[in-house]
Parts: sequence; structure tokens; C-alpha cells
Amino acid sequence: MLRKAASLTRLPGMMHIGTGLVCGTKIKDMVQAGFHFIIFLADWHSMINNKFGGDMEKIEAAGEYFKHCFTALGLTEDKVEYIWASELASKPNYWERVIRVAKTTTAQRVMRALPIMGRDLKAQEVETASLFYPCMQAADIFEMSLDVACAGIDQRKAHVLAREAGEKLRWGKPVALHTPMLMGLAGIQGSEKGSYDEDPKLSSVIAAKMSKSKPENTILLHDSPELIEEKLRKAYCPPKIVEGNPVIEYYRLLAFPANKTVTLNRDQKYGGDMKFSTHKELEEAYKTGKIHPQDLKSNMARILADILKGVREYFDKHPEPLEQMQKLEAR
Amino acid sequence: MNQGQRLELVTKGTVEIIQPIELQRVLEEKTKPRAYWGFECSGKQPA
Repeated sequence: MLRKAASLTRLPGMMHIGTGLVCGTKIKDMVQAGFHFIIFLADWHSMINNKFGGDMEKIEAAGEYFKHCFTALGLTEDKVEYIWASELASKPNYWERVIRVAKTTTAQRVMRALPIMGRDLKAQEVETASLFYPCMQAADIFEMSLDVACAGIDQRKAHVLAREAGEKLRWGKPVALHTPMLMGLAGIQGSEKGSYDEDPKLSSVIAAKMSKSKPENTILLHDSPELIEEKLRKAYCPPKIVEGNPVIEYYRLLAFPANKTVTLNRDQKYGGDMKFSTHKELEEAYKTGKIHPQDLKSNMARILADILKGVREYFDKHPEPLEQMQKLEAR
Repeated sequence: MNQGQRLELVTKGTVEIIQPIELQRVLEEKTKPRAYWGFECSGKQPA
């Protein structure tokens, strides 16, 4: 039997709203703009990065679950193509491509492209296999004949490496499209210490990325409306301050892209409902103290629960991928 | 959808495009360009 949402929070591999909504929305935009879009399930890369202790069976179950998450978000197989890294890697020329990419660059450059794996950079601790990772990312792009490579901004170095390799090898230069990283609920100051990039600003953005943080610091695709509310209640949300405020950030990156206008429901005695058609308007109102942090939070909880309703319903009907992950985890 | 609308839809909400002019060219030259997003089948972060 499928355990309930509260225990899913502790199941490793659960999708964060950053992945589901920021990436999901962008992919939908691209499909609408006429792209043939590939959602690439990077099982090999996960193994290199020791996800699930490098256990390929668990990684595959997690990949299958990811596919279901995106399907639940509307990215069905008639709209996007799903390709596994292991499918690509089993093609005869794949590893030759990886080596050809590796020959265009230096170990130092590849090392610098490693924060994609969300690790602190200490050469002595990096497994040799990790050096293949950025080279594989580049090889993937060429193997699939892509015009555009999309990712969070933390992957820019890997994409730059791919562009340079493509130019040297005359394989073409893919366009790189980067999306913002979603902050954890504790904000920048609540994030883990560590250096993820030589650029301190980008480093702190990566550190605050949701996936680096603890479950209570992130909202998962499966969280119940009650749990979302509870997590938001504890979120960092200083009054009148918008910089580094994760709740304000979620309006910009999650609420407005999903809705034409955003209405904040408020008690009559606190001034009643407020309606905003742009994020700028909402920010201004918050800066001038017209919105109380409590109202900002409770409305965000309602909006997110609403956006994620379809996903919850989907997994109620299709519990198998989650059950499979629970089974493997309990082994 | 005209080229301008397509470009706007693709760039909306992004923090960086390398390079915008190249993206514009891709959209002009191809009706069905190819794009991807790679996802690690994420689990516990390594210690």
C-alpha cells in the first residue's frame, strides 16, 4: 500500500516544485513554440553522482517516477519525448563522442564545470568518474542533434564547455537557455555553507537551491495542502523586504507564470482581497507594507496547493511508481 | 504564432540565453527545432 504524503516527504528522490514547476512550465512554453522537446532521464549521470548510492535499480525507479511526474504536469508522451541516458549510452558511437569532447578541453576546465553536481569543489574528493560527467552532458547534446539545451543556471559552465567543444569539433554550437534556481523556504541565509562556483553570487544562489536543502525547507510535488501550509508558515519572509525573500520569489517564479492574475484573499478587517496582474505590482505593495507576511504566505500555500492538485489526483490513480520506489527503499 | 511571439514564449522567465541572436536564427530556420532538459533521477545528496 502507498504510504501517505507525510511519509513521502522522507522518501528520497521525490520531485521538488522547482523541478516540476519552473522546468515544467518552461518545457511547456517550448513545446507550444514548436520545439521537439526531449526530457532526458539521466540515469548514468545519477549513478556517477552517487544518487541512491549509485544503485541503478533505484535510479531507474526514480527516473520512471520522474516521467510520471512530468506526465501528471501535462507533459505527456504525445507532447514530449522521453529518452534515457542508458539508451543513448548503448549506441555504438556514444563513448567515442565522450572521448572526443574530453580531448577538446582540460581536466581543470572539466573540474570547474563540476558544481552542476551540487558539490563543494575539493579535487581530492572528486571521483575520477565525475570528470566524465560534463563530457557526457556535451556528448548527449550532440548525440541527440539538439539546437537548444535547457537547464538551471547552475549548469552554465557545462553548457559553455559543450558549445566550445561543438565549435572545435565542427558539430555545431547549441544555444544554451538557463532558468533561475528556486530558493529554499529558509531563503539564502538558511542555506548550506559551501562554495559551488567561483562567482560568489552564483555560488549562494546554488547553495539556496531547493534540492540542496532539507525536506522541511522545500516543497515537494506531493505535499498535501496542509503540509504546504505548514511549511510556508515557517518560511523566511521578512516584512517589506523582497530581496532574498523566498515567498516573494515563489510569486514571481511560480504563481504569476501559472496565472494571468493573482488574487490575495484577505479578511475584510485587514482590507479585503487584493488583485495583481504583474509581479512588479505585488512587490511594490509588499515593499510599502500593504501586504502582511502572513497573508503572503497563506495565499501562496493556497495557490500552490491549487497548482499541484492535478499531480495529487494523478498519483492517487497511478500509485505504482511511488510504491516501487518505497519497495526498493525499504529493501 | 509569429516569430516574435515564439521568441518571447521561449525566452520568458529565463535568466540567460547564450546567445539570443543564435536562438533567433534557430527559430527562423526551423519550424520544429530540437531541445532538451536533462534530469538526474535525484535522490539523497551524496555526503
